[in-house]
Amino acid sequence: MKLLSPRERKFLENRLKGLYGVEEGFNDLVLIKCGRGRIRATTKETLELASRLRGIQQIGLYVMKISNGDISLSVEGSQLLNDEIKENVIELDEERVEKWMKAIPIKTETTYHGRYVIGKFNRLYLGSARVSRNGLLYPQIPKWRRIPIAKNSE
Amino acid sequence: MLGEIKLSEGLREYLSKMPDLDLDLLLEAYRRPLPTSFRVNTLKMDEYEILEMLKEKGVSFKKIPWARYGYVVENNSIDLGKTLEHMLGLIYIQAPISMVPVEVLDPKPGERILDLCAAPGSKSTQIAQLLNGLGVLVANDISFERVKALASNLQRFGVLNVIITLMDGRKFPRFAHECFDKVLVDAPCSSLGIVSKNWGIARSWSPEIAKRLSKVQRQLIVAGFDCLKPGGELVYATCTLTVEENEMVIQHLLEKRENAVLKEIDLPSLKYRCGIVEWNGTKFDEELRKTIRVMPYDNWAEGFYVARILKEGDS
Repeated sequence: MKLLSPRERKFLENRLKGLYGVEEGFNDLVLIKCGRGRIRATTKETLELASRLRGIQQIGLYVMKISNGDISLSVEGSQLLNDEIKENVIELDEERVEKWMKAIPIKTETTYHGRYVIGKFNRLYLGSARVSRNGLLYPQIPKWRRIPIAKNSE
Repeated sequence: MLGEIKLSEGLREYLSKMPDLDLDLLLEAYRRPLPTSFRVNTLKMDEYEILEMLKEKGVSFKKIPWARYGYVVENNSIDLGKTLEHMLGLIYIQAPISMVPVEVLDPKPGERILDLCAAPGSKSTQIAQLLNGLGVLVANDISFERVKALASNLQRFGVLNVIITLMDGRKFPRFAHECFDKVLVDAPCSSLGIVSKNWGIARSWSPEIAKRLSKVQRQLIVAGFDCLKPGGELVYATCTLTVEENEMVIQHLLEKRENAVLKEIDLPSLKYRCGIVEWNGTKFDEELRKTIRVMPYDNWAEGFYVARILKEGDS
């Protein structure tokens, strides 16, 4: 685990602004690289205490993954940014939020810029979905937190 | 119809010797399923809004009086574990008495708290909620598999100020001596308070199991205590009924650390009884009356033992 350098952080902030219209971002938080483009966020005090401890497995929250300049926000990453997110958002109704949380692809007519779009249901942000060329969105919900698909449906 | 529950010979004999225990009521409690209950996650959303979302799904519930943000479900019309609210971390499904130890610990924003045996994370998420993003939670467990579940639950709950460690809790004071304001030792135990979840526990219980666990618990509580700053507080909890795993562990700490002082526990509406001060002809410190025993039939939920200990000295 390594802290993001000021240059990397600047790049990230620019990408968040370009892709999602985020102005402030994770201002007060420490951002940590934890391999394969994954970024975790935590507080300064947490990081300070971590320097004393042994056997550390994880610090803070997994918030995003960066790949070739594209940013996929985790559910919690998008919830942390909350209404800072202004662009590339898809509003979901009850039927589609159910599909989103089951990681079932969702058909869309809208064109989005970037490879990812962020889901929103009422006031809740639900992380990212990958935008495919065939007009489908593939929600990036990890297997362990998907709503199970009932047998004989979908 | 209620089924038949089988107790091992050793357990039947052990329970028959315990003071203030009604075996018929205990067996009845073991036969009943535990109530479904949950906590609302105020780190993510307003309590009222989450409750409204659940009501719209047809879930009815009532407040658990001893747990902030805790509710018990009154109608089991839907599986809460498969709801959007659970998957998004807006609620955390946790049994009602399991919420007691953290309420006794009473985390305050800004404190540094160690949860020494944290997996799968019910109590860690509860601590994090009460810290409200200020201070630090260190959630430790000895098992790699269980740490994975702990990490998932803390992620889903949205906890920023957490460090997850994988370590034998007994080794913690080597590098974290007098480091924490509060410590929770929710020790591994023989689980006689949650037999209704798994009747096999009562069938296979033996006094040797309790003795073996007691040894580990004694080491864990001393380690947890040594990680406390002077003036800090430790809560020791198990979900079992045996004296070896409960009062005798606290007695051991009082003998090993003279600055360990028991404190009163006061939780509204929770039914419980005082800790045992005499067992098998051995008398313990009278202060052990300040610890609490919750029998499964007291609240028709889990059985628990909880002790609150102050580390004397200037903070």
